Amino acid sequence: MNRSWLKLAALPMVLALVASACSDDNKSSKSTEAGGDDSLAGSKVLITGPERDDPSVGAINTALKVFGDAHGIEITYVGDADWEANISTQVEGGNPPDIGIFPQPGKLADFARDGALVALDDAAKAAVATNWSTDYSNYANVDGVQYGVPVKTDLKSIVWYKPAAFADAGYEVPATYDEFVALVDEMAAAGGPKPLCVGIESGGATGWPFTDWTEEMVLRQDGGDVYDQWVNHEIPFDDPRIVTAMDTVLNLWSDDNVFASGGNIAATNFGDNAQPLLDGQCFMHRQASFFSGFFPAGTAFADGSADAIDVFYFPDINGDKPVLTAGTYAAGFNDNPATMAVLAYMSTPQYAQDRQAEQTRLLDGGLSGFLSAAIGQDPSVYQPLEQGFLEILNNSELSRFDGSDLMPAAVGAGSFWTEGTSAVNGDKTAAEAAADIEKTWPT
Amino acid sequence: MGKVWSTLLTVAIAVSVTGALWVAANLAFNQVRVEWRRFVAIAYGAMGFLLGILVAGNRVTVHSQAGFLAFVWLPSLLAVVFAVVGVAINLSNSPRLKRAIGIGSGVGIGVLLGLLVREQYQPALSVGPLLGWTIGGALVVAAINNLRKRNPISGALVGGAIGAIFGGWGSAQLGSGTIVESILAMTIPAMLMGARVGLSSTPDSIGKARIDRRSRVVIFLGPALFFISIALVIPAIRTFYLSLLDARSKKFVKLDNYLETVKAKASWDSTKWTDMFTSRLFYMGIIALAVAVVVGVIAKKRTGRAVEIGNSTVAPLVVGVLLVLFAAFTSFRGTIVNNLWWVVTVVFFSTGLGLAIAVLADGAKHEKLAKSLIFMPLAISLVGASIIWRFMYVPRDATIEQTGVMNAVWVGLGRLSTGSGLPTIIGTVVIGVVLLGLVVVFGRALAKRAWARAALPGIGTALVGWFFVRYTGIIGAGVGGFQVKADGSIVPQAIGFFQEAPFNNVWLMVILIWIQAGFAMVIFSAAIKGVPTEILEAARVDGGTPSQIFWRITLPQIATTIGVVVTTLIVLVMKVFDIVKVVTNGNFGTQVLANDMYFQAFQSGNTGRGAALAIILFVSVLPVMIFNIRRMQSES
Repeated sequence: MNRSWLKLAALPMVLALVASACSDDNKSSKSTEAGGDDSLAGSKVLITGPERDDPSVGAINTALKVFGDAHGIEITYVGDADWEANISTQVEGGNPPDIGIFPQPGKLADFARDGALVALDDAAKAAVATNWSTDYSNYANVDGVQYGVPVKTDLKSIVWYKPAAFADAGYEVPATYDEFVALVDEMAAAGGPKPLCVGIESGGATGWPFTDWTEEMVLRQDGGDVYDQWVNHEIPFDDPRIVTAMDTVLNLWSDDNVFASGGNIAATNFGDNAQPLLDGQCFMHRQASFFSGFFPAGTAFADGSADAIDVFYFPDINGDKPVLTAGTYAAGFNDNPATMAVLAYMSTPQYAQDRQAEQTRLLDGGLSGFLSAAIGQDPSVYQPLEQGFLEILNNSELSRFDGSDLMPAAVGAGSFWTEGTSAVNGDKTAAEAAADIEKTWPT
Repeated sequence: MGKVWSTLLTVAIAVSVTGALWVAANLAFNQVRVEWRRFVAIAYGAMGFLLGILVAGNRVTVHSQAGFLAFVWLPSLLAVVFAVVGVAINLSNSPRLKRAIGIGSGVGIGVLLGLLVREQYQPALSVGPLLGWTIGGALVVAAINNLRKRNPISGALVGGAIGAIFGGWGSAQLGSGTIVESILAMTIPAMLMGARVGLSSTPDSIGKARIDRRSRVVIFLGPALFFISIALVIPAIRTFYLSLLDARSKKFVKLDNYLETVKAKASWDSTKWTDMFTSRLFYMGIIALAVAVVVGVIAKKRTGRAVEIGNSTVAPLVVGVLLVLFAAFTSFRGTIVNNLWWVVTVVFFSTGLGLAIAVLADGAKHEKLAKSLIFMPLAISLVGASIIWRFMYVPRDATIEQTGVMNAVWVGLGRLSTGSGLPTIIGTVVIGVVLLGLVVVFGRALAKRAWARAALPGIGTALVGWFFVRYTGIIGAGVGGFQVKADGSIVPQAIGFFQEAPFNNVWLMVILIWIQAGFAMVIFSAAIKGVPTEILEAARVDGGTPSQIFWRITLPQIATTIGVVVTTLIVLVMKVFDIVKVVTNGNFGTQVLANDMYFQAFQSGNTGRGAALAIILFVSVLPVMIFNIRRMQSES
């Protein structure tokens, strides 16, 4: 008799255990709820983001640990390959991390408007204002409220080339867009290596390099205002100017101009363009600053040696020196003091320097692929090539963020990729593709 | 703690909780006959505990989110209160006292819970819906109880309580109410339930026996029903609900998602459907169908039947229908068409190949080895198989050597065909000899007037002959992967197997056929071995040829197995996702419903469209599933 009673008592116990296991997730955020600045000690901050390669994760954690140890905060960064899909699930499930690092400001704005994100507190806001130009911080400003801090910058408007190959063939780095087009024609006519390496295959994101090229062209041909109108859908996607920009790209990508190691542009992985450039199968490749990571280990960059790879600025048309950038933004899912303190710290040049130094160290002095436009960094932590990136950033008079990351996901991470791929593949004309993208713009 | 350990721990907890629940439920209901009051205490206590978990688990009450103790105190408290109330009602004999205890404790519990509601959950009550729901619920359940010959008053009380919950919490704006309103919203249903409990009487021994008996059914079915409902039924219902909402699941849009999905050009594109009548496939199909008609007429004269399983009409008929269907699939484009195309092609070829291999390998030397090899791909995951085949198909730039097998062969053939060296001449001789051999066989059969036996060599002669004239350049410049430039120079040209629409779809289907043919083969092989040997021997004694025995005896015997394989494959192919996701991700006109669903829901962030696609997929698979299950049940 008594024994069966004991068994019965076991049930609520087990249930309670499960219940406590389920409710565990919230502990980290709750433990810091009470108290002011002095109670930062002992709190935990969990950060998640899409960067998941070992050097990046290691460098982010090390850079944050410096700050965390000084204030007694346990900061953990976790990279997630499928971050963009998973963060939505976590937010809907009421279980977001303390801080998320957003590669797409559009997503950040969506979350902010849904009330999932918490606006920066005054200290963090001040830190962002001191450390970053509004050209960058504005993209994390939603309806006048600053939600995020820029933590990483990618420079897109650069062309990778091999100076030695240029010198051998007697080519000069083009200073204007006309010179660039003339150079491409000259190279194609010479019948040797093709002028350009292009590939837009990227698994689930196939097509994004085409969106980058299109954005460069819109920015160069029509300027910043039209670019903003296009991105904000104040002009339709199939506006003649946009179609013209797409056509410019497609014409430049003719069979005679392009070496596509995968047989055709749509089948060539974007990362597979590094080797052909080294092997001399093509002369130039326009890709963002992070592309240094795709060259094989041991590649020399901008050091004057025979096989060294260097970059030049993708020339402009109207003399307004535009640069296309991208980057990531950290934003908080709660207003714990520790969360806000970490966000403020992540905006500082100190964080960028620490991360850069550590990432370079982890790669044994190789190029980190990391870049930051934070004001007041010590340039000596960067390699010569990366200092060149910073110079291009600093010399630009017009800076715009990657448009496809600002558009609604249905377009920027959807139809712009897929329809763009159709256009590159020759299944549709630029006008047809643009019209089909316009149809998918959410109302 | 590593992922493995936390997963194992979760499984262990889940299993032990399920087991404990099951044992505990049995123990509890054991008390019904032995010790009624104890059962009442346990049952009421359990209900109180569950209510507490429901309320605290959804973080409705204060302090429900700050750790372990805060989470369990309310369920434990409610368990004790409920148990006491239950026993008290059962102890008293006067109906009036019972009613008083029931209502009183209901009000007490309601007030308690109402006081504990967190500010952001306090409902702004409006009298209309609250009254409407309560009275409506009461009327409905009372009517049901009346029909079932039960007490309508108790039904009205239960229905009223449920209605009051919907009216008080479901239709009110949460978070803008006051504490008084939350007390009201808690107390009204609690009081009604309390009144209902006050009406209950202690059952006699027959009643107790009935409770005991029925409880076992529930206990044994319970776990299965529970898991099916949380893993299948509830998600399905929620998916349907989401499919009626807009992209961000905010606004109700009726059936717009379905209409948009069906209307979208990406799903169903018939703008170029007239291309069908100019395509080569269509004409080849028509020719095959014409042959089928001719052969059919002859067969009708000879045997009285135009089409019969295994006669000569079937082959050209099937080929003709397939070719015309392919012509249609390449002209009508879009996601839905692709799915149909997948189903037709993969199911037909997997079943056909599987059956052919099973029959040919049956009783042959090294049968087991051969079948194992063909079965092997089934052990490879779809993603793995896709990656393997991507390497087979991969093209490289024309200026460098091809690394994919398919393109290496194709470009190599082009080089051979357009070249003029020794290998080219050897190629010409080999193809010429093969052609000559075929012509001889064909000629002999014709001379003997054995029309049926001439058919295969005839088709072979035509195909090899066509290849020969192309290879030698009698017609065209050659055959294979090359391109003649404007200046007359010849450069190699690879095929972008996955980029060139619409036949890239077929190259994708090859992957699934490669895998599923093995599956079909194993099932058919077993079925063929199951055909009674007496019948086969009897047929042999009667002088049946092997092909007659196959078409007339074996095939009808394994017809049900074919049905099972076909339906299983249809369901599987309808849901095809992995291959398309890995290889093309739906680009280049290869999109299918399942991948579009993933794309819409998780990449475009359009939950409504994604859910609608999921439901469309589910509904279109359903008839086949039902058919399959019916059939399996009728067999057993």
